[in-house]
Amino acid sequence: MSTVKENIRNFCIVAHIDHGKSTLADRLMEKTGQVSERDMEEQLLDSMDLERERGITIKLTPVRMFYTAKDGKEYVFNLIDTPGHVDFTYEVSRSLKACEGAILIVDATQGVQAQTLANAYLAIDNDLEIMPVINKMDLASARPDQAVEEIENILGVEAHDAPRISAKSGLNIEEVLEKIVEKIPAPKGDDDAPLKALIFDSYYDNFKGVICFVRIVDGKVSAGTKIKTFMSDKEFVVTEVGVFSPKMTAKSQLSSGEVGYIAASIKSIEDTAVGDTITEVNNPAKEPLPGYKKALPMVFSGVFPLDGSKFNDLKDALLKLKLNDAALSIEPDNSAALGFGFRCGFLGLLHMDVIQERIEREFDLQIITTAPSVSYKVYKTDGTQMVVENPTHLPPVTEIDYMEEPIIKASIFTPPEYVGPIMELCQFKRGVYKDMVYLDKTRVELKYDLPLNEIIYDFFDSLKSRTKGYASFDYEVSGYQKSELVKLDMLLNGEMCDALSIIVHKDKAYERGRQIAEKLKEVIPRQMFEIPIQAAIGGKIIARETVKAFRKDVLAKCYGGDVTRKKKLLEKQKEGKKKMRSIGSVEIPSEAFIEILKTDNEK
Amino acid sequence: MKGIYVHVPFCKSKCTYCDFASFPKEIGKTESYFACLYREMEGRGKQLKNKTFDTVYIGGGTPSVVESKFIVGAIRQIKKQFNLSKNPEITIEINPGTVTEQKIKDYKSVGINRFSIGLQTGYDDQLKRLNRIHTAKDFLICCNMLKGENKSADILIGLADQTAEQVKKSIDLAIAGEVNHISMYALTPEVGTPIYTDYLNGLLPSGDEIAELYDIAREYLSQKGFERYEVSNFCKKGFESKHNLNYWQRGEYIGLGVSASSFIDDRRFTNTFSIDEYMNAIIYNKAPEISSDIIELEDAKFECIMLGLRTEKGVDKKQFNQEFNCDFDKEYKNAIDKKGEYLINTPTKISINPEYLYVQNDIILEFMK
Repeated sequence: MSTVKENIRNFCIVAHIDHGKSTLADRLMEKTGQVSERDMEEQLLDSMDLERERGITIKLTPVRMFYTAKDGKEYVFNLIDTPGHVDFTYEVSRSLKACEGAILIVDATQGVQAQTLANAYLAIDNDLEIMPVINKMDLASARPDQAVEEIENILGVEAHDAPRISAKSGLNIEEVLEKIVEKIPAPKGDDDAPLKALIFDSYYDNFKGVICFVRIVDGKVSAGTKIKTFMSDKEFVVTEVGVFSPKMTAKSQLSSGEVGYIAASIKSIEDTAVGDTITEVNNPAKEPLPGYKKALPMVFSGVFPLDGSKFNDLKDALLKLKLNDAALSIEPDNSAALGFGFRCGFLGLLHMDVIQERIEREFDLQIITTAPSVSYKVYKTDGTQMVVENPTHLPPVTEIDYMEEPIIKASIFTPPEYVGPIMELCQFKRGVYKDMVYLDKTRVELKYDLPLNEIIYDFFDSLKSRTKGYASFDYEVSGYQKSELVKLDMLLNGEMCDALSIIVHKDKAYERGRQIAEKLKEVIPRQMFEIPIQAAIGGKIIARETVKAFRKDVLAKCYGGDVTRKKKLLEKQKEGKKKMRSIGSVEIPSEAFIEILKTDNEK
Repeated sequence: MKGIYVHVPFCKSKCTYCDFASFPKEIGKTESYFACLYREMEGRGKQLKNKTFDTVYIGGGTPSVVESKFIVGAIRQIKKQFNLSKNPEITIEINPGTVTEQKIKDYKSVGINRFSIGLQTGYDDQLKRLNRIHTAKDFLICCNMLKGENKSADILIGLADQTAEQVKKSIDLAIAGEVNHISMYALTPEVGTPIYTDYLNGLLPSGDEIAELYDIAREYLSQKGFERYEVSNFCKKGFESKHNLNYWQRGEYIGLGVSASSFIDDRRFTNTFSIDEYMNAIIYNKAPEISSDIIELEDAKFECIMLGLRTEKGVDKKQFNQEFNCDFDKEYKNAIDKKGEYLINTPTKISINPEYLYVQNDIILEFMK
């Protein structure tokens, strides 16, 4: 049965992290009978383990619901979930393109936050109808009137009639469903026009090949339709089409306005790039839908297998992840300390974290990651220019004329009492103050220009600890700026460890050198000899610490029954040693490479 | 060489650091325990009748806490059930607070010829704190009863607030008792023992401090004519404990009684730690073992190195090559190269440079595959 277009509503939910996006989605599914309350696993949409644990959404998961409205008609709702975090702005824009409207959730206790703003603007830019919802009405500290006022004042979106709900307790969910019917426009599009289907996500299924998640903009598609995409010349015959309810359910046909999936025994994911348009071979559309802006990786880090022999496994894992994560960039890398691995580019720190965790969990690989870096522009004395994402690739100082580093425009929302500490922090991070706006009595927006390399270490943590978690933060990269940067090297027992080199601002080098040396002293276990740890710029040593040699490393007794015990003890130690890397004669634990970042800058 | 170990799981009271199978409250089971022990000896003796044993060691617990007739009975039973070589070394562990002239007379009557005396420290306040049941003076009285006998003393380092001077004085006391062998152990706080609480609360010296005490004591022992032959064992020339050397040379041994471990025909196995379980097993003619491991070739090689490198003499490469049909230098080239500066490597043997014997784990690990 095909639904008339007028009765379809395609929408997404956008919100600041923890404002209740997944809970509302669950509630909508429950109310529309998509899932029974008893069977419902909490937060259905966040099906990746990692997503549920962290309370974040990474991949897009569409779901179809049926709702009989008060007007007596049955509507089809297609909800396309979106990631809330700034790192995934790119993915958000992907799902927005497949919708006509967006539910904007605002937490009644917190009001508009940095990501509320960022996501709402994104939705507005994509011409979506914004439908505000005030959530968490069950909490005593809810201030709905203030939230409404903020939405209207800050976002310029009318919110006086916004449903006031509690996704947690189920309060007023009915009203949300009615509002969706009322406010969100039905899709336009022509069933008889040539097929245009936007691919907004895809994944590889071992049996069916690539599954494309699509929004049908014009035309229709069913099993047997011969299709192709605009970016690839290859033709495929559709084997199955269907919808998400929320499991994939086959259907005879998808027509304009609908959201669903297409399988066509496509072997390679490269043939169906996300953002590409699918059309029919025999009756092709003239031009594709506007695609997506390609997301550029901004943060780079070395990823190495803990066990050197697992290089190929790591390669396979990264390639598989890249299949449906266009934003991840991969390049082979080689380190004297860590062996063969990859230099990976990420959208931001969370993206990096998520990828690293997925490698470890989904592929059961243990990895070592190096300090994240950004991409610098290096202007050489011979007039050429190069981009450096890996500190070890920086040419000698004598060949460098000058360097530029990426700058971000940061927007920080905070209660007024934390303005002082935040300004101090931004100052410390080489930030340039731009603006301060009092949004209302309880909220200030601070605007700063900050070097990206200052926020990739511990900016989030520092911001959180200075504001007791009340401040929220969002940023976009705004360009490059000339800067006095130097390469800071770490020497262990006189030997340089390439994997520990970082690029820092000249004025910060001494302090960071000292901090890293101190941190290394903490994480490097004592060994049979004394280990000097030195921080150096060029040939100049700027900091030194020493790990003393251990004096006792023996089992006091070893008689009859102790043999097995001692052997087991040593086996355990050996296991631990396997996780260590040798820099010359010095063994350092793999965590050291990431531990050194966790320095509190204000000490 | 082959050895027999007999475990006596009784004592007057538990020392604060002790995690051995020893049960002061179950001393009433002595009679039945020994009955079972004799029966186990009979059974094992039959299984091992083609092997000859060179040493017997009666340990515990406190073997000297039980009436001497049980010990006498045990030795007699061993002599009856096992083949012993001509002049076996027979050692008994004794606590100075439990010996009498009569007991010693009885021990000697069945051929016990070596006495390992638990001294631990020469300071009464420290002894009390460890919940030892004797004083420093009791030690000297005990030694006096054993005048002219082959004696060893145990000394602990790493006690709370222990100074190097105190360790030296404890060594002096042992020497005054005319021992010709001293075992000097670093106190190891095991989980579940009362002293572990002291450790958690930072009352015990650190590894570095213990190493300092060890170095000073080792130097002092050497001055007094006691040379180290294993990490924790020192003796006058010719007075090494044969029974213990057998462990480090990876010789075979059979363990009898509760918690005793054995290594026979490439198999390591251990008896149950519970007296009741042990007796039940014996009564129903079952082996009282709770674990058993066949030692495969690679493991055997590693054991040989791990144990050999504990001793001053190290590993006999010729013997090693013969036993395992391989070339030691070739097989362990990487480890020898990597840790060369800490090893003494000659064509016939390999040992740890004496200065590094106390930091040997890191070296040994290189030899593990």
